[in-house]
Amino acid sequence: MKLRLILLASIFTIVACSNQNIDSSSNEKIETDSLTLAVGKEPESGFDPITGWGRYGSPLFQSTLLKLDEDLSYENDLITSYHISRDGLTWTLELREDAKFSDGERLNADDVIFTFEQAQLSQSIVDVTNVDEIEKQSDFSLKIKLKTPQATFLYLLATLGIVPEHAYNDRYQDYPVGTGPYKMVEWKKGEQLIVEENPHYYGKKPSFKKLTFLFLEEDQAFAAAKAGQVDVASVPITYNNQTIDGMKLLSLESVDNRGVILPFLDEGNETAEGIPAGHVVTSNLAIRKAMNLAVDREELVDGVLEGQGTPAYSSVDKLPWWNEDTRIKDDNQELAQEILTSDGWEKNEQGYFEKDELEAGFTLYYPSGDQLRQSLSIVFAEQMQHFGINVVTEGKSWNELENLIFSNPVMMGWGSHDPTELYNLYHSDIKGIDWYNSNLYQNELVDNYLENAMHAKSEEAVNQALKNAQFNGETGLSAKGDASWVWLVNVNHLYFVHEDLKIGEQKIQPHGHGWPVTDFITEWKLKTNE
Amino acid sequence: MKKWIPIKLIVPILLILVLYIVAIIIEQKELAIDLNQKNTAPSLTHLFGTDWLGRDMLIRTWQGLSVSLTIGIVTAFCSTIIALLMAVVAGANKKFDRIVRWMIDLFLSLPHLVTLLLITFTLGGGVKGLMIGLIVTHWTSLARVLRVEVFQLNNSEFIQASRQFGKNYIWIVWHHFLPHLYPQIIIGAILIFPHAILHEAAVTFLGFGLSTDQPAIGIILSESMSYLSAGYWWLAFFPGLFLLSITLTFQYMGKQVHRVMERNDRYDSGVNN
Repeated sequence: MKLRLILLASIFTIVACSNQNIDSSSNEKIETDSLTLAVGKEPESGFDPITGWGRYGSPLFQSTLLKLDEDLSYENDLITSYHISRDGLTWTLELREDAKFSDGERLNADDVIFTFEQAQLSQSIVDVTNVDEIEKQSDFSLKIKLKTPQATFLYLLATLGIVPEHAYNDRYQDYPVGTGPYKMVEWKKGEQLIVEENPHYYGKKPSFKKLTFLFLEEDQAFAAAKAGQVDVASVPITYNNQTIDGMKLLSLESVDNRGVILPFLDEGNETAEGIPAGHVVTSNLAIRKAMNLAVDREELVDGVLEGQGTPAYSSVDKLPWWNEDTRIKDDNQELAQEILTSDGWEKNEQGYFEKDELEAGFTLYYPSGDQLRQSLSIVFAEQMQHFGINVVTEGKSWNELENLIFSNPVMMGWGSHDPTELYNLYHSDIKGIDWYNSNLYQNELVDNYLENAMHAKSEEAVNQALKNAQFNGETGLSAKGDASWVWLVNVNHLYFVHEDLKIGEQKIQPHGHGWPVTDFITEWKLKTNE
Repeated sequence: MKKWIPIKLIVPILLILVLYIVAIIIEQKELAIDLNQKNTAPSLTHLFGTDWLGRDMLIRTWQGLSVSLTIGIVTAFCSTIIALLMAVVAGANKKFDRIVRWMIDLFLSLPHLVTLLLITFTLGGGVKGLMIGLIVTHWTSLARVLRVEVFQLNNSEFIQASRQFGKNYIWIVWHHFLPHLYPQIIIGAILIFPHAILHEAAVTFLGFGLSTDQPAIGIILSESMSYLSAGYWWLAFFPGLFLLSITLTFQYMGKQVHRVMERNDRYDSGVNN
């Protein structure tokens, strides 16, 4: 019996201790030319840009033709200039002549052409279907012919890392060679990645010669930061009231949004594959609008995100093509009720709205295991219950959601620097491909605007058309128009960063927490170096 | 011939009964979300603290236990019946015995948790999948014990005599085997219980069992994982402690039942002499 008591007591002590700051060694001086980072998971398909590496964050090993700055405008990187013909079809690119791969070979037009060809062959995430042909002008100049004008091609040029023709093989994703600021030293799969400065890099030399990326789970990353083992750690928002000696907590704004996707069609429809689609309640415009107005986004931000986020009104908040008119005054139950009443809905005895013996209500699904989405769903459901819509929540695996999403509201999330995403989410041609437009939304007018945007010749024209698609003063895809989603919040991305380390201004962060913080890693420096 | 039940046995039984009844009553109550009371440490208003949505952890834990107990009871009952059937079938003739022995060996040779995971996963998880998984994997030890008992009884003189009188096997099972086996059956069933609860929690914790909207201890524990390094120890500590206590209570109860039955046997035989 005594032994048991001692055991119990010792468990108590251990638990109590872990509650305090065990470690104060994190005050140690940062090493001057190397950094250790724990910023997210290992890229599953390796470091090959053709299969998607570098879409978020710095490609480290490779560099791109263009790059995006903090304000999401385009800057030259591997090219010195580009020219677009008046019909928007022919793009002439001039390459810089001093770019060398980390193995010492010079980069020329052949490598760029090779990269595009590989992307075409592999039919991967990188969408180059609009490229008609590529013509080599000289060693450092090439012409790309497009099938249709596409100003958003700029985004592709800014995310596709150029791979070397001479060193690209089956094992490239494990042993990348590129023109980027760093070259690979060692990759222990599942554990860590060590990179060091590429001596041939043409750009400004980074201040840190060696970087070590540790692939840790989020709570491990926090523990490692607490023990002073890492200089940068990405942590979930639940850690926002934690402190670590010698580290500061950065909270970066994002378009990493969460919202409820609402089936747009009525019950009894089907997708092209024959999966049931549509929902009898959410196909009602008044219900969708009322939910958008009745929900209290601020409460979600304060309550669930602990203030580490912003209310979301669209999937593109604060991006250059966001239409600010889509911002609505929410928590407005009177107006929401008015909309429902004028559509013929009345509250029944249980306190839920009802029309023609149809009770307003649905099951809101969320991916089980995603605690943030679960919490958002639970609180959203409670708000709706309070308002008069009978929302209940249920967790399902992603596999199950793949079919359920066509006929049920689901807590989803998007957010990208790529303007094409808006097209994919709302254009009627994309119905249900790779989770895009899974509520089978369609509106001819919106389709037109979106198509105009994709085939526009200039960035401004793209942005203008996308703004019109959201809301043109009368209708659109946003909450003021068809309201096919209830966008709820943008989730801030939290990082613990060594207090002497300056990482500068960041872009508004996209979906996916972790790698995007490395965007400007070459410009990171120590405060003491100034 | 006075048979009395000692206090040592009454206490755990009462404890579990009270716990279960309270759990059933609590289950009717909605778990209130209170975003102003998030992540508060245990206090007098919230004995077990609150979680990240301000839900009371005591109520969540209790509801979780009710799910666990229900699953435990069903599993224990069904597994025991399977075990008994297997033992009786094995006693019928040599060929059946070989088959049953082979099945017991098969299940025992595989790691318990792995088999359970596989079965639950193939059945698609959820309460149904988990229960079937638990039932199918938990009968083996008891079946082995019962098989030996049946074997011994089969060779005893009065069974031989019964057979000589022309009684068939079913009759013998009903009139001779069951009265002899019931102590083993009861103790076996009680001892399956803690196993089943722990395994349910383990499988759920790993994400293959109950779905996340069910208030199960395994869910609570796995959810709390991401909050532990943030210092919210009460999210895991009290539910874990509760689970452990329940398991130990059942173990203890099993032991006491065993002692009572043994003693009654001894008492009876003493009187007969």
